[in-house]
This record gives sequence, structure tokens and C-alpha cells, in this order.
Amino acid sequence: MKTLEEHLAESAAFHGGDCPGQTLGVRLARAGLESIGIDDPLSDHWRKQLMVYVEIDRCAADSVMVVTGCRVGKRTLKIIDNGIIAATFINLENGKAMRIIAREEARELAGKYAPDVKDKYERQRRAYSVMPNEELFDIEEVIVDVPPEDMPGSPLSRVHCTRCGDSIVDMREVHINGTLLCRNCAHDVYFKLIKKPEAVHGGKQG
Amino acid sequence: MCETNQETIPIKDAIGTILGHDITEVNTSTGFKGCRFRRGHVIREEDVPRFLELGKENIYVLRIEDDQMHEDDAAHVLAGAIAGANTHFVPEPREGKLTINASIAGLLKVNVEALECFNSVCAVMCATRHTNTVVQAGDALAGTRAIPLVVDREPVQEAAAIAREAGAIVSVTPFRQASVALVITGNEVYTGRIEDAFEPVIREKVSTMGSSVDLVIKSPDNEQAIVAAVRRARREGSDMIIMTGGMSVDPDDITPLAARAAGARIEAYGSAVLPGAMFMVGYFDDGVPVLGVPACGIHHPRTIFDLILPRVLTGETITNKDIARLGHGGMCLDCPECRYPVCPFGKGN
Repeated sequence: MKTLEEHLAESAAFHGGDCPGQTLGVRLARAGLESIGIDDPLSDHWRKQLMVYVEIDRCAADSVMVVTGCRVGKRTLKIIDNGIIAATFINLENGKAMRIIAREEARELAGKYAPDVKDKYERQRRAYSVMPNEELFDIEEVIVDVPPEDMPGSPLSRVHCTRCGDSIVDMREVHINGTLLCRNCAHDVYFKLIKKPEAVHGGKQG
Repeated sequence: MCETNQETIPIKDAIGTILGHDITEVNTSTGFKGCRFRRGHVIREEDVPRFLELGKENIYVLRIEDDQMHEDDAAHVLAGAIAGANTHFVPEPREGKLTINASIAGLLKVNVEALECFNSVCAVMCATRHTNTVVQAGDALAGTRAIPLVVDREPVQEAAAIAREAGAIVSVTPFRQASVALVITGNEVYTGRIEDAFEPVIREKVSTMGSSVDLVIKSPDNEQAIVAAVRRARREGSDMIIMTGGMSVDPDDITPLAARAAGARIEAYGSAVLPGAMFMVGYFDDGVPVLGVPACGIHHPRTIFDLILPRVLTGETITNKDIARLGHGGMCLDCPECRYPVCPFGKGN
């Protein structure tokens, strides 16, 4: 495993600057890897045998990506945005899964480890880099049954929405009264359509 | 040959003698059918007209030599040797016959080989229900008796010895209370395109045997996914894994492959039973069984699953030979009204 300093530097470069959340994220990712027995997550062996569920979509998430090498596009990183600075690290080789949760008390303890630093965020940043894991995190062993359609590898399926024609992979379709639909057509969508594209040859079906 | 050994005397000369056997009366006008005079009855003068009305002008009066037994005593000896674990009999022979009953619910096991040897001894008999029949407490399992009213001790003792050496001839094995995992495979079910029809059927059949389906995992038709589902069932400590779907020969039918990839030793894939030809049975190293139920399990009231599940739930390890043996009697007649288990299906061994 790389040193803490190396990880902090890489994370700052990736994220675009230092912050306490990143330091916490780096420590959290290192603790997570250690807890499931993975020392070299970027190696050929482990990069396909490691998966992380991150429960927040803020700074710490970027740090977890840097330290673990897990990526959304590789399907090894899942963002479950619960608004909690926590992540679950899964060793896919043996199924061991550990959930690491940042302790709220750590924010207050920062003063103990960097008493001379006046700026609150800088104090937390420095403290988080030296505090022991026991004070920074709660660690619990869990079971995660990763759904087959969420696993890395080739898509399990490819179908088309019978309404809009969009191609849907990995069983994200829904069936309503026997009709196969994409989620956008089946439920409320997150966007509002302004203008339909003009039909072109080879474009959408349906 | 064995011969009866009793004296026949006219009823009018029998006053004061001991009746050697039960006298049955069938009265069509009153509807009575039963025992009018029992063995051991001392015949009185006023009984004589009754005997004559029953058409008994001559009766047997027993003379039992030292090397002989009365049929009732023989029935006791025989039933005592035949009745094995979790069975009982009421020691009151009726017309020389004793019936052995189940003391608990479970699976009737008959030592068929020993039964045949037993019945090869002349002058005694034992008839049983089929082995591997599911029985309830109190159900009749077997009947036994000596053939003649007075029988030589030797054949009775010989037959009883055969039964005892076999460790009894009939017994009832209780079902274990297994925690069952059900792995339902199929993209069509996994994505919700169609509703699964297996779960209610399997649940009902498993619960009838006193076990329960405690874990249901649906999986797409993907080997890795099915393997993961089976491993999860293993991890969660299921006593038995039942897999449905993907048991046939289409490209998507990979359930047996996945079971093997998950660590099961497949004892048999393909069975000599209709319906149920695509059935699978296997075991993990620790003895946890895995059964693969083909689609016929949904549409047919009874399939090979009904023949094998009770046996597996008694802890029996099913072998390829057991499955092969099911071929004789393994053809369901698809009757308009299913009367299983009172039918020939699965009764060939």
C-alpha cells in the first residue's frame, strides 16, 4: 500500500484541493482495505476482486476512488447516497465485507490532536491524518449480496423500451401490466423533455 | 409342509371344550359383521343353537402340543420381530392377525429383501404398504399372522429370526425440520416479466413435511449469478437447497452447471421418472443436499420431487442407483383426479 502522504497528495490532485473530507476519506479507504485484507488494490489481481459501496457523494467519495482504484465505470464503485460518511468494502474473493463509518465525535476530538491550529478545517484536516482508527471510525462486519446485474463483466441482458425505444442493459427495465418499459417511461423522470430529436436513419426504435 | 394340528368335533359334543379360534358372524339383515365367539370361549349348552345358526356344525378344538403355538401367540412373536422403530401394535389379535401402526408421522421404510425371506417361510405371512410411503401417526403399516390356527413353533421362530436379524422389517423414519433455501432461476422471473409459480408449490410441499423455506433467492440465467445465489444459501446455513428453472436442455439452462460450479457433487442429473426426467440431485461436502426441480414441478401435481423430497428429509443420501430404480413404477398416469399416494406412481421399489 502507498503511504498516507502519497494517498493524500493523489487525492488532492484528483479532487482539486485539500480538505478535511478528503483526509477523512483517505483514512477511511485505507482502514477499509486493511479490514478486508487487501494491501495492493491497484494490482491486477485485486482490482477485479474489490468493490466499494460509498454512502456519500461528497469529497470523501473521491478519496475512496483514488485509494481503492474502484470506479463507477468499472462497476466496482457504487454510490448509495445516504448522506453518511461511510463506505462498505467487499473482498469479492472471499465475500468478506466491512462497513467503515466516520464517528461524529472525531470532529470534536480534532482539537486534541492539532490544538495549535486556529482554522477549524485545517485543524480537522491535520487531526484526521494522525488520529487512530478507533477514534475516527466505527467498523462493522456486514454481508452484502451484490445483485448479479450490478457485478462487473458483460451486461447480463439488453432489451428495448417498448415506448421510447431506448436500449436498456443489465435488467434495469420494468414490466408494467405485461409491458416492458425503461424506468424513465415507467416512473417520474428526472428531466423534462423540451424537444424531441428528429428521426434519423438508424436512430431509436419504436 | 406345515399342517394344522387340531381336533375337529361336532358342536353338539363340544360342550365344556375350549374354542380354538374366533367365530365370525355376518348378518346381512342386521348389518352385523364381527366376532361372535372368541378363542378361549368355553362352549356352553345354550351356545349350541347359535353355532348351528352360523353354519358351524363342527368346530376346531385346539390341542396344542409343546412344539406348537396358537395363531394368536404366533402373531405376537411375529409382530414383535417385524415392528421396528417408531411403530407399535395393539397386542390383541383379531382373527389371528396383528396390525402394526405408525407411532409418528414420517417415512415408512420396509426391508423388502427381509420381507421376501420372511414370507418364504411357510405358515407365516406379513403384508406391508410400500416402502418410502409418507405416513401419519396411527396409520396401518403392516399385518402379520400365522396361516394355520395351530402352528409349529419352528417356522414362527425362523421367520421372527429373519426379521430380527434384519433389524425389524417395518419402521418409520421421522422427518428432520430442515431450513430450506429456494434458488429460483430465470431472467423472465428475475426481471418481473412473469410471476414465479414455483415458490408457492415448493413452499407447500416442504411445509407439509414439517420443514420450511426460509430463504428465497431469485437469479438471472447467468452462471456466476446462480453460483453466487447458491453460495449465499450455503453461507446462511441452509440445510437443503432447492433450485428451480434452467433444468432443461436449452442454451439458457445452466442450473446444473452452476450447482456444480458452486461446489456440489451432482449425483444424478436426469431421472427415470415421468414427470421429472430433468431432475437433479447432488450433495455438498458437508452433506447438504441440492435438488434441481424442472418445470414439470409447476404443472403436474406430483413429480419425482414428491418421491425424493421425503427421503431427503429423513436424512437419506440419494444415490444414482436410487434414481435409476425409480424407473419401474416411475410413470405417472396423469389421472384427471390425482389420488397420489394411493396410486402406482413411485411404488416400483
